[in-house]
Amino acid sequence: MSEWDVTQDLRVPWEEDPGELYEHAPCGYLSTLPDGTIVKVNGTFLAWTGYDRAELIGRRRFRDLLSSGGQIYHETHYAPLLRMQDDVHEVAFDLIRADGERLPALINSVLSRDPAGNPRLIRTTVFNATERRGYERELLHARRTAEASERRIKVLQEIVAELSAAATELEVAVAVVRAPQLAFEATSSSIWVIDENRERLVAVPQSAAAPPSPTAPDPADPATGRDDIPLTSGRAVAEVFRRGELQVIGSPEEAGKEFGELAETMRQAGHSAIVLLPLTAGLAGDDGRGMLVFGFAEPRELSDSELRVVRVLGQQAGQALDRGRLYDQARRDEERATFLAETTRVLDETPRLTARTKALVERLVPEIADWATVRLQVGPNGLLANAGGPAPEPQRLARRISEVTLSAEPQWPDPAGPDQGCAVLPLTARGRVLGTLALRLPVARRTATEIAFLTDLADRAGLALENARLYEQERAIARTLQRNLLAGHMPRDSRFVVETHYHAAAQDLEVGGDWFDAFMITPDKLAIAVGDVVGRGIEAATTMGQLRSAIRALASAEAGPAKVLRKLDRFVERVETARMATVAYAEVDLHAGTMTYACAGHLPPLLHEPASPARYLLGARSAPLGSRAGRRDRHEETVRLPAGSRVLLYTDGLVERRDRTIDRGLDLMAREWARRRELPMPGLTAGFADLMVGREHSDDVCLLCFMIGAEDKLERTIGADPVQIALLRADLRGWLESREVDRECAQAVLLACSEAVANAIEHGYRDDPFGKVEVVASVSDTTVEVRVADKGEWRVAQGDVARGRGLQLIRQVMDHVSFDRSAGTVVTMRRSRKGAS
Amino acid sequence: MTSDLVRYARRGTASIVTLSGEIDLANAPTIGREIVDVVPGDGAVLIDLTGVSFLDSAGVRLLDALVGDLDDHGRVVRFVVGETGAARMTLQLCAFRDDLLATDLDKAAEELND
Repeated sequence: MSEWDVTQDLRVPWEEDPGELYEHAPCGYLSTLPDGTIVKVNGTFLAWTGYDRAELIGRRRFRDLLSSGGQIYHETHYAPLLRMQDDVHEVAFDLIRADGERLPALINSVLSRDPAGNPRLIRTTVFNATERRGYERELLHARRTAEASERRIKVLQEIVAELSAAATELEVAVAVVRAPQLAFEATSSSIWVIDENRERLVAVPQSAAAPPSPTAPDPADPATGRDDIPLTSGRAVAEVFRRGELQVIGSPEEAGKEFGELAETMRQAGHSAIVLLPLTAGLAGDDGRGMLVFGFAEPRELSDSELRVVRVLGQQAGQALDRGRLYDQARRDEERATFLAETTRVLDETPRLTARTKALVERLVPEIADWATVRLQVGPNGLLANAGGPAPEPQRLARRISEVTLSAEPQWPDPAGPDQGCAVLPLTARGRVLGTLALRLPVARRTATEIAFLTDLADRAGLALENARLYEQERAIARTLQRNLLAGHMPRDSRFVVETHYHAAAQDLEVGGDWFDAFMITPDKLAIAVGDVVGRGIEAATTMGQLRSAIRALASAEAGPAKVLRKLDRFVERVETARMATVAYAEVDLHAGTMTYACAGHLPPLLHEPASPARYLLGARSAPLGSRAGRRDRHEETVRLPAGSRVLLYTDGLVERRDRTIDRGLDLMAREWARRRELPMPGLTAGFADLMVGREHSDDVCLLCFMIGAEDKLERTIGADPVQIALLRADLRGWLESREVDRECAQAVLLACSEAVANAIEHGYRDDPFGKVEVVASVSDTTVEVRVADKGEWRVAQGDVARGRGLQLIRQVMDHVSFDRSAGTVVTMRRSRKGAS
Repeated sequence: MTSDLVRYARRGTASIVTLSGEIDLANAPTIGREIVDVVPGDGAVLIDLTGVSFLDSAGVRLLDALVGDLDDHGRVVRFVVGETGAARMTLQLCAFRDDLLATDLDKAAEELND
């Protein structure tokens, strides 16, 4: 074969005429008049567009075959260009086919002119551009996708940057929850984080600007709208979390196949598609940290690259949550350590057991719990302190408390139990259950670390309370010892009155060694003494008892004060704790109306004779008992006591104050004492102590006032303390005897008076332990009258049979009883004396 | 601390609880507990009040509760009170059943042991 000559057409054997070639060319041909009217068209064009030749020739213009956008382009660009340059190339038009479908095409047109230069005919070739257009569209799409992906990456980078700056779980959650809207145009998104116990997915509120407080209410509370999900739940969020695999759901119907509730939620929220994304720190789902769920209002399919980005988001968020949790934990650990240290300090600084118990519950509520109660098994009735509320059902609580007390094992919050969040912990110290701490934890605190913290707290509290209890016990023993020693019956005689007062220090921390005593040496000789033992506490109380007994044993009709002191000096050689004790001791001869006194290191007695200024008895002074350095030659002096004379013996707490010298104290006391010469004896010493030292004094004070001459009336004021009724009764009994009231009548008056006072304490002062009850008794030749007054509130307790019995007894034993309840309650009772008419 | 207000002895099957001193609002609960502590779970109970120098309604409340409790368990209880005295006065005023009161400890103990 020779080379083909390509300068002329090859004629192939099967080629037909040029008319065939025009008709079936691989492009469409159109000839149109300058106004666009089609005058000639080839078969290829007709085949592509589906028109009949007859429909086009002479009937339609080229522009009529274009889409509406194409027609505008034809008017504005194609036609003017053609007229200007006589040809137009590769203009893209959409032709509208006979069936209405679009046919993308590339158009070339050439305008031929007549010799005069006027447009004559337009020849147009039409190339089918269907595939080319598709390719272009793909290119465009790819570019858009790339742009979206770039934007998405940018958003994600920003979010990841935010995540790394987020210091808490909450901040992480707030950053993550924004991602779906920004990166994927999601219409909504929610986030859950797994709780510390890995028991529930905790919803982070949409308005997470307000962090959930530790005292947040229960998740079930509809008021807060919190949607926490137990991990075992069948709900889609929990299920997907357990699987640890990203789940994309394209429609409510698709959701309905597996998760009925999710389909319902999607319909309600108007979601067409939803993405459930586990937030996990690693690749495996077993260390899931939370769930991110976001939805789309429009149908949405996520491309593979989008899904990859979603997964990366899940991982980044998981890691950030992990980190946030560690930060949170470190901070909480620090907070707990601080709280423990602070609590221990507060408890140690609160001295008394009751106050310390109260301080404990007040530390716990509301910082740790919304309700707390401490019960201690101390004393006859136990000790109870409450804070916060509402308290759980009492019977169930009582049962749990007794179980814990018996087993010494704590009971932790039981999520399934009726008292959610209630823990009961034993308070133990030195192997003994001292009591229990019950408290209700808010949801956020029902975690394993919190439990360890509470155990630690209960241990420390137990020890602190046990220390307070031991201290309290010792104090109580010392106080009881002292009270027993001081509460002995004061001698009673129509010839004199002895009034005493013991004023415990306001802080009431430890019992001091102040004491007083008064006793009859002979029927005509009365001994009075006030002393102060060195030291405090049980030892001081014991020593003072020994000293008192020693004085009683040593005093005799013959001895006299100087001799008694000398013998006491020998006594303290054997009782070392009594060394350096001070004492003011006096013997009163009731017959002669004289007093002989001696002071061993003690402040001088204050004497106030009628119609004279008060004066200190400064004679007969010597050193404290057993002193080695001081003068121990004991002397005594005698003074006359005219009827109505008053003698005051006292301890140094009465005059010593930091802000004034003792001389000024003594001057002040003498003046004030003289001003009170007209006041009745009962209550005199108590009132005087209040005046001299006030209520907030730091030292114990002891006073004994002796008056020669007797009381016509018995006037007593006692505190609202049942123990004091016995003391009152002792006074009253002695006084009734001295007034020669017959025994039966005295018994009746004692009973009625006791009941009336008990009534005032139990009812009038039910809520006021500092209330005072005033009792005034008087005797005439025919009757005994007792008046009992309180300033409390009268309340009749419904069904209080016992108190009713008390009132009944009063009415039975007394002839006349009247109640005045206009201000507090005043009960006036009278009974005839035997033999009276 | 134990008070010396409550002493316990046994005669035959009967328990003898001797109370002394003053019984009032302040110490009645303590005395009640001490009685419950010393009295065994069975047998008759004889409570000797002859040494009681004062008895108020809180004391009566205590004794009343004690009778109720022992009665519920089918146990016999007696109070020994003097011919006169504070305890007798209060119990009579409160109309305690005559069958509960005795005046002679030995006789009452013998009866209970029959």
